[in-house]
Amino acid sequence: MPLFLKERKSLTILIALIFFHFLLISMQVPLGEKASIFEKTVFSVFSPVRHGILSFFRSIGNVWNNYFYLRNVQGQNEQMKEQIFYLQQENNLLRNALQKFRSEREIEENLLEMHESILPSRVIGLDPSNFYKSVIINRGTLDGIKKNMVVLDKNGDLVGRIVDAISLKEARVQMITDNESGISVFAEGNRIRGILVGDGEGQCLMRYVLATTTAEEISEGEDVITSGYDRIYPSGIRVGRIVSITTDTSLHKHIVVIPYFDFRYLDQIAVIMKDPQEFFKD
Amino acid sequence: MRLNDFIRVAIGILISFLFYTIFSRVSPSFLLLFNVFSLVVFYFAVKKGEIFGSCLGTVCGLFQDYFFSGVYGVAGLSKTISGFLAGYLSKKIDVQTPLRNFFFLIILLSFELILWALLFSFIVPESISTGGGLIFFQPVATAVLGTFAHFLLKKFKKDKY
Repeated sequence: MPLFLKERKSLTILIALIFFHFLLISMQVPLGEKASIFEKTVFSVFSPVRHGILSFFRSIGNVWNNYFYLRNVQGQNEQMKEQIFYLQQENNLLRNALQKFRSEREIEENLLEMHESILPSRVIGLDPSNFYKSVIINRGTLDGIKKNMVVLDKNGDLVGRIVDAISLKEARVQMITDNESGISVFAEGNRIRGILVGDGEGQCLMRYVLATTTAEEISEGEDVITSGYDRIYPSGIRVGRIVSITTDTSLHKHIVVIPYFDFRYLDQIAVIMKDPQEFFKD
Repeated sequence: MRLNDFIRVAIGILISFLFYTIFSRVSPSFLLLFNVFSLVVFYFAVKKGEIFGSCLGTVCGLFQDYFFSGVYGVAGLSKTISGFLAGYLSKKIDVQTPLRNFFFLIILLSFELILWALLFSFIVPESISTGGGLIFFQPVATAVLGTFAHFLLKKFKKDKY
């Protein structure tokens, strides 16, 4: 084929591909954050591939563990890990309940209910624009995932909330480090209230704490926990620790909070399978 | 295109997929520093030409978009154009020596990163996370990895035959 014809063919293919991409992008943009039918379809089609690859490597890991590394001990270890996972969640709830000064019976009932409503999940995807914005987990509508369900890490510390169930087996979690998230919180010491927002760089800022608040009322090292006033996150969940408090000329203090969940170990997480409104029935 | 090429491309994509899966667990910073999907695209674009490069750019870009759960087509478009350029330019200039290969990769990776950033900023009304400036080292770090991989592949082929 003559060179100019070949180059023309190449350019035609390139233009066709560019057109295809623009079409693809335009299909998604108008819906903004909400997943489009296209996106849901792609996720439904390709998620088995990703699950397959992850399962394949987990299987290889399991073979190694099971046949070359103390088979029985490993089994026990896995069991204990699972127990710890549930115990940590329960411990978290227990502390929540204690803070509410509820009766022992109510606490027991809550514990039982909580144990049944925890859904262990795994993180399988990240957000390209910002790793601290959102993650994709391997649970979806098929598992009963709904918008605004609370997500905790394996220690029971707050990670974020479900913003969208993308497919049957995948959902998007907005993390508390996202600069578009907002959580009603208070500092544990004197219960000074504020709104926690992410800074998009892995930390959070506790906003709207008046500059006139004294060092005795709020100080560095204090735990920050959810207050429940946003009617999404139930009260008493551990969020992070205050690492710096500064005051400038503005009306409010600049308070930096380090989240308790560690992004590096955000492999296993727990979704609280309870409609957020159920937490606020009382 | 022969069956062997399909298998090679599949292996390349699989390696990139594994890289992203494993290193996203270790540290997200690795994903900012290395763009392995681009290396696969450029490698095959140089070997097979601009049509192959642009088509593979589309596939790898969509894989990357899928992997990061972003807007589908952003990485795809930038990889398609840079894959085309890689195939086209490699026919005009020799990029087989390590030094030439290194600079060729740096230029294309920088071009792709700029294109991706422009498209992303245009489509998504959010600022791009630079990972504390780490993303600016992506072309150099990926080019080093690519040149090293290219050297190893060449050595492997020499030993084989």
